[in-house]
Amino acid sequence: MANSKIAVSDTPQIQIRFVTKQQQYAVPDYPLSVPTSIIISELNVLVNELLKESDTSNEEIEFDFLICSEFLRTSLIEHIIERAISIEEVINVEYIVKHPPPEPQDCLIHDDWVSAVSMCEKWILTGCYDNTLHLWTAKGKHHLTIPGHSSPIKAVAWISLDGDIGVFVSASQDQTAILWKWNVESNSVETVHICKGHERGLEAVGVNSLSNLMATGSWDTMLKIWSTSLQDDSENGESASKRKKTDCSKTRVPLRTMKGHKEAISGVVWSDKTEIITSSWDHTLKIWDTELGGVKHEFTGNKSFFDLDYSPLSKVLITASADKHIRLYDPRSTEGAVVKSMFTSHTQWVQSIRWSTTEEHLFMSGAYDNNVKLWDARSPRAPLFDLSGHEDKVLCCNWSNPKFLVSGGTDNTVRVFKSRYAVV
Amino acid sequence: MCPDKNRSFKTMKPNRNNLKRKQTLKNSDNVIENNEESDYEKSEVEDSGTEDLLIGEIDGDGDTTDEERNNGDSNDDSNEEEDKPIFASSDEEDESNEEEISSEELSSEEDSLLESESNSKEENEEETANIKYQKTKHKQIKKKNQSKSVNHKDDSKAKVNANDSKLNKYETDSSDEEDIRNTVGNIPLKWYDNSKHIGYDWDGKQILKPEQGNQLDNFLRRMEDPDFWRTIKDYQTGQEVVLSNADIELITRIQKQRLPDAKFDEYAPWMEWFTSEVMKTPIRKFPEHKRSFLPSKPEAKRVSKLVHALKMGWIKSTAELKKERESKTREPQFYMLWQTDDQAEEMRRIHKHIPAPKRFLPGHAESYNPPPEYLFDKRELKEWNKLKNTPWKRKLHFIPEKYDSLRQVPAYPRYIKERFQRCLDLYLCPRAIKMKLTIEPESLVPQLPSPRDLQPFPTVQSMIYEGHTDMVRCMTVESLGQFLASGGDDSTLRIWEISTGRCVKVVNCGGTVRSVAWCPNQNLPLIAVAADQRVLLINPGVGDHVISKKADKLLEIIPQSDVIVSERVTAVVQWENQSVMDNAEDWNTSIRVVINHYKIVKQVTWHAKGDYFLSVMPDGQNRAVLIHQLSKRRSHLPIGRPKGQVQCALFHPFKPFLFIATQRNVRIYDLMKQEMIKKLFTNSQWISSMSIHPGGDNLLVGTYDKKLLWFDLDLSTKPYQILRLHGTGIRGVAYHKNYPLFASGADDRGLIVCHGMVYSDLLQNPLIVPLKRLCNHEAFNDFGILDVLFHPIQPWIFSAGADSTIRMYT
Repeated sequence: MANSKIAVSDTPQIQIRFVTKQQQYAVPDYPLSVPTSIIISELNVLVNELLKESDTSNEEIEFDFLICSEFLRTSLIEHIIERAISIEEVINVEYIVKHPPPEPQDCLIHDDWVSAVSMCEKWILTGCYDNTLHLWTAKGKHHLTIPGHSSPIKAVAWISLDGDIGVFVSASQDQTAILWKWNVESNSVETVHICKGHERGLEAVGVNSLSNLMATGSWDTMLKIWSTSLQDDSENGESASKRKKTDCSKTRVPLRTMKGHKEAISGVVWSDKTEIITSSWDHTLKIWDTELGGVKHEFTGNKSFFDLDYSPLSKVLITASADKHIRLYDPRSTEGAVVKSMFTSHTQWVQSIRWSTTEEHLFMSGAYDNNVKLWDARSPRAPLFDLSGHEDKVLCCNWSNPKFLVSGGTDNTVRVFKSRYAVV
Repeated sequence: MCPDKNRSFKTMKPNRNNLKRKQTLKNSDNVIENNEESDYEKSEVEDSGTEDLLIGEIDGDGDTTDEERNNGDSNDDSNEEEDKPIFASSDEEDESNEEEISSEELSSEEDSLLESESNSKEENEEETANIKYQKTKHKQIKKKNQSKSVNHKDDSKAKVNANDSKLNKYETDSSDEEDIRNTVGNIPLKWYDNSKHIGYDWDGKQILKPEQGNQLDNFLRRMEDPDFWRTIKDYQTGQEVVLSNADIELITRIQKQRLPDAKFDEYAPWMEWFTSEVMKTPIRKFPEHKRSFLPSKPEAKRVSKLVHALKMGWIKSTAELKKERESKTREPQFYMLWQTDDQAEEMRRIHKHIPAPKRFLPGHAESYNPPPEYLFDKRELKEWNKLKNTPWKRKLHFIPEKYDSLRQVPAYPRYIKERFQRCLDLYLCPRAIKMKLTIEPESLVPQLPSPRDLQPFPTVQSMIYEGHTDMVRCMTVESLGQFLASGGDDSTLRIWEISTGRCVKVVNCGGTVRSVAWCPNQNLPLIAVAADQRVLLINPGVGDHVISKKADKLLEIIPQSDVIVSERVTAVVQWENQSVMDNAEDWNTSIRVVINHYKIVKQVTWHAKGDYFLSVMPDGQNRAVLIHQLSKRRSHLPIGRPKGQVQCALFHPFKPFLFIATQRNVRIYDLMKQEMIKKLFTNSQWISSMSIHPGGDNLLVGTYDKKLLWFDLDLSTKPYQILRLHGTGIRGVAYHKNYPLFASGADDRGLIVCHGMVYSDLLQNPLIVPLKRLCNHEAFNDFGILDVLFHPIQPWIFSAGADSTIRMYT
C-alpha cells in the first residue's frame, strides 16, 4: 500500500535505507525512494508494512526515527537540510521502538513545599520546607514523618538500604546535614550523626558510588566531604581536638573541606571514586579530586548553575541553570565548545535535572514552568514527553528507581509517574 | 648739520663737486710747492673719493677755466635752490645715517690707532705698518674736517694757515675737499715697488720715493731723533710726517673716548629749535614721514598686476571695450533659427532646467496628400468618433484629409488653441532637476553598540514573590545574594529566598514600612527598617546562625557613654533597646533596637562600614537628616539646615561624603570637614530617588518629572546625560555593584534597564545605552513600580510593585 502510494506521487524523491539495532524488528536492507516531505507517521506506516511482509504478526508498533543520531521531529527534508546532509546519497534511517509515555501514578500531598526527593527501591524520601522529612512507599502510602531539622530541607539522598536498615542523609538550610538510620521493620528512625561545619545553609548533597563518602555543597561556597559510616568515627575526624570540643558523640566533622567556588554550590555529584563535579552560582562547573583536595578542571558557563547530574552510562554532564536551557557538557573534552548540546523547551528556570540510571540517553528535568519533561539526549529541540501535573514550580526530581519518575514542587505535592520500559 | 647737507648734495651732484675739488686742488698744489712738509694737513682723502674722482674725470674732461667754473657754480646754486624744499625734509634722516657712519669710523679708527701706536712703540719700521698708519691718519684728518672744530695749528706752518683762511671762503663745502697728490688712485702701492717713483702728481710728474735709509740709519734715528715717535709716513707720497701736538692731543682724546673737540661744550644750554608748547591746532612738530613721499610698494604691485592683465588681454580698457561694442552693433546680428533643436536650452530663471519634450515632426498623416492607407476608413472613423469624450485616447488628434493641391488646404481650425496649450505647457510646467536633501532618521541617532553585545542584562521575568497584602515600597538584598527583604504598606517586613521565591520570614513592624536596608557588614546581620516614625533594627536570623547569635549578644550590651547628647538631638530621637527580659514578644519578632523619631522616617541607609546609618525625615525641617551610630547608640545631626525639603540621602561608598537631595538639587557634604563640597543642579522640579555608582564618581538621580539624570561628579555639576525614557515620574533608581548596569522604575509600570559603563580612564565619558523595558507589574491606584534593586552578584533585578508583588528579572 505504502509502496504504491509512494510510486504515484510526483514530489521529489529521496533514497533512504532502514536500519535498526533492535534485531526483532529488522527489515530487509535495501534502499527505498520516499518523497522528501515524508513525516514520522508515514515512515511508521512504511516500516510496519515492511515488517508485515516479513512477519505474520499484525501488531502495530510505534517507532521513532533517528537520522544522524538525532530524532526526526519535522519532515524528512527539513531535518536533512538543517543538518546539511547530502541528499544525493542513500540516507540511513535508524528506527527504534518509541519510548512509551510515562503514566501518572500518584500524587503525594505534603504540608509544605517539597524541595528534595529521592527514591530507593520502593521508598520515596522527601524533604520539605516545613523542616521535616517524609517516607512514602511507591504506592503512595505515607510511612513516616521525620522532624529534626530547624530549617527547610534542601537535599536528601539515600546511602544504603540493606534489608531492614536504611540509611539516608538530609541537608538543610540550618547549616547541618543529618545522617539517619531507619529501621524498616519497626518503622523507627534515629539520628546517627549531625554533620556540622558549614557556615551557611546547605544546598546539595551527593553520595559516592561505594556509599562510604558523601559531599555537601553550601552557600558558604565550601565543598565538604564526610564519611557516611554509622560508627562513631574517632579516627576519621578532620581533627580530634575539634571534635572533642563539640563534645557530642553525634556531631560529625568533615573529612575534608575544599575551597574554590566563589558563590553558593548548588549541585554535587560524584563522577568517580575520587572525583566530584560541582555546579555553582558563580557560573562555573568544577571537577574536584578528593584525594588531592583541589580543582582538577573547570568549565565556565554564562549563567548561574542550579543543578547538575552525571551519567555513568554516557559519561556526560547535564546542567540546569538560570535560564530555560538545559546544557549538556562533556567533561572529557578539553577543546572545542564545551557545551555539546542545548535542550530548550522549558519556558522558565530549570531547577532540577536527573539522568536515567538505566538508559544512557534519557533524562528528566523539572522547571519553574510547572512542567517535568522527559528528554532524549538525541532530541535537543523537543522533549519526548511533558509530564504535566504540578500546579506550581517544580523544585526537585528523581529517577533513581528506573520504574518511577518522581518530582516535588511548590504545590506541596510529589508526583509519581510510572515509567514503562521501551522494548529492547 | 651743515656738512651733512653738503655731503648729500655732493652725492647727488658729482659734477659740481668735482669742479670744486679741482679748485681746492689747485690751491693745495701751490702749497705743496711752497711747503711740502705741511701738505699732509690738506690731504683730505676720502675712501669714497676715488669714485668722485673718476666721475669728475669723465664729466670734467679737459681743463675748464675759473669763469666756467663760476658759471657752473651759479647754475648749481640755482639748482640747489630748487632742490632744497625736496631734500630739506630728508635732512634729519641723512643726519642720523651720517652719525652712524661716523661712529663706525670712529671705532675703526680707534682700533687702528691702538695698533699703530703699539707698532710705533715696537719701533717697527716696516712699510706696511706705515701705510696703515697713514691710512688712519687720513681718516683722522677727515674726521677733523667733519667736526669742524679742530684747527690745525702748527707753529711752523703759517702758510698752511693762510691757505686755510683762503679756503675759508669755500667753507660751506670744504669738508669733502680731498688733497690728492698722488693720482694713481686706489691701487696697491706694491705695484710701484720696483720703480723709483710712487705715482704721479697732478701735473703728471713722477712722485719720487724718498730715500730709504738702511737699518743702521733707522736705528740711529730712532735713538737720536726725539720726534721719532711722532713721525709717520705719508701713505701717498712716501714722505715722513711729524705729527703736531694738536694731532697728538686729538688722538689721545679719541683714545680716551672723549669728544675730539676740546672746545665743544657738552653742557651748553639746550637750544629749543621747536616749541614744546602744545597748540590747539599744532603745526606738526616732526617732519613728514618718509613713506609720505615714497611711492607705495603694494600699490606698485597692484598696478603691475593690472598692467600685466592688460598686456595679456585679460582685462580690457574702456577704449577697447567701446571699440568692441561698436564693432558688434555695426555687424549684422544672426541667430540660429533652429538653435533649440540641437542645443541645450538656456533658462535663466530655472536652475538645471530640463527642456520640454519636443513635438513630433509632422508625418505622413499630417500631409495634405497622405498615402491612402493613412486616410480613415469607416471603421476607423467610427472609432475616432466614439472617443469623442476622451480625445486623449485617440491615436491621432485629427482626421487625415486628402487635398488635390496645397492651395486647397484650409486653415487649421485648432491652430490657435494648440499653440496656446503648448505655451501653457511650456511655462506652467517648469521642468528642472531638483536636488532634494534627504536625511535618514537613522543617521541622526548616535552610534550606540547593539544591546546584544552588552549582555548579560535582565531580559525575562523569572520569579514573582507573592505574599505582601499591600503595596511593596522598598527592598533590600543580603550581600551574599541569598535573601531579599521587602517592606510595604501592609506594615510587614518579609524576607524571601531569592532562588525559590519562598517567603522565609514575616516580621510585623507596626507601621508602613517606607525603607529597608540590610547592613553591609556581613558580621552584623541586621536590617534597618523605617516603619512610620520608628526605625527598627531587625536581626532576621537567616544566613549564618553563629553570626546571628553573636550579633544578638552584642546588641544586648548597651554601651555607656558620658557624652551628653544635645537637647536638639534628644528631642528628635530616642533609642530604645529591646532585650529578652523586657520585651519577649518583640525579641521573638527579631526586633532588636528601636529608634523613635519625631516625624515619619522616609528613608534609612547604611554607611558602607555598617556602623553608621542615616534616617531621613522629609518633614523634619532643619532636623531632617540624622546619622545614627549603632556601636555607641548615639545620633547626630550632620548638617545645619538643609535648604529645602530633604528627599533622600546617601553615603559615598568609601569617602566620608554625604549626598543630600532636596526637592530641586543635590548637595554633597564632606563629613570630616563639615562643609558643603558641591551642589548638583538637576534642573527638575522634584527629585524622587538617588543611587551612587560603586565607583563613587557617578550619581543617578530619578525625578518625578520623568527624567533620569546621570551626574558625572568629576565632570560638572550639571547632568552628564538626561534620559527621558519613562512616561511618568520615576520612583526608584539603582546601580549594579559589579556589572555596568543601572535601572529605573516608574509609575508607568515600566522598569528600564540601561547599560552604564564607567571607564577608569578619566578622559572617556561613561557609555550609556538603554537596553530593555520590562513591564510586568499591574497598575494599582496609578502606582507602578515603587522600588528597584539589583542582585548584588548576579545580573538580576528586582522591582517592587504597587500590585503587592516583587518581580525578579534575569
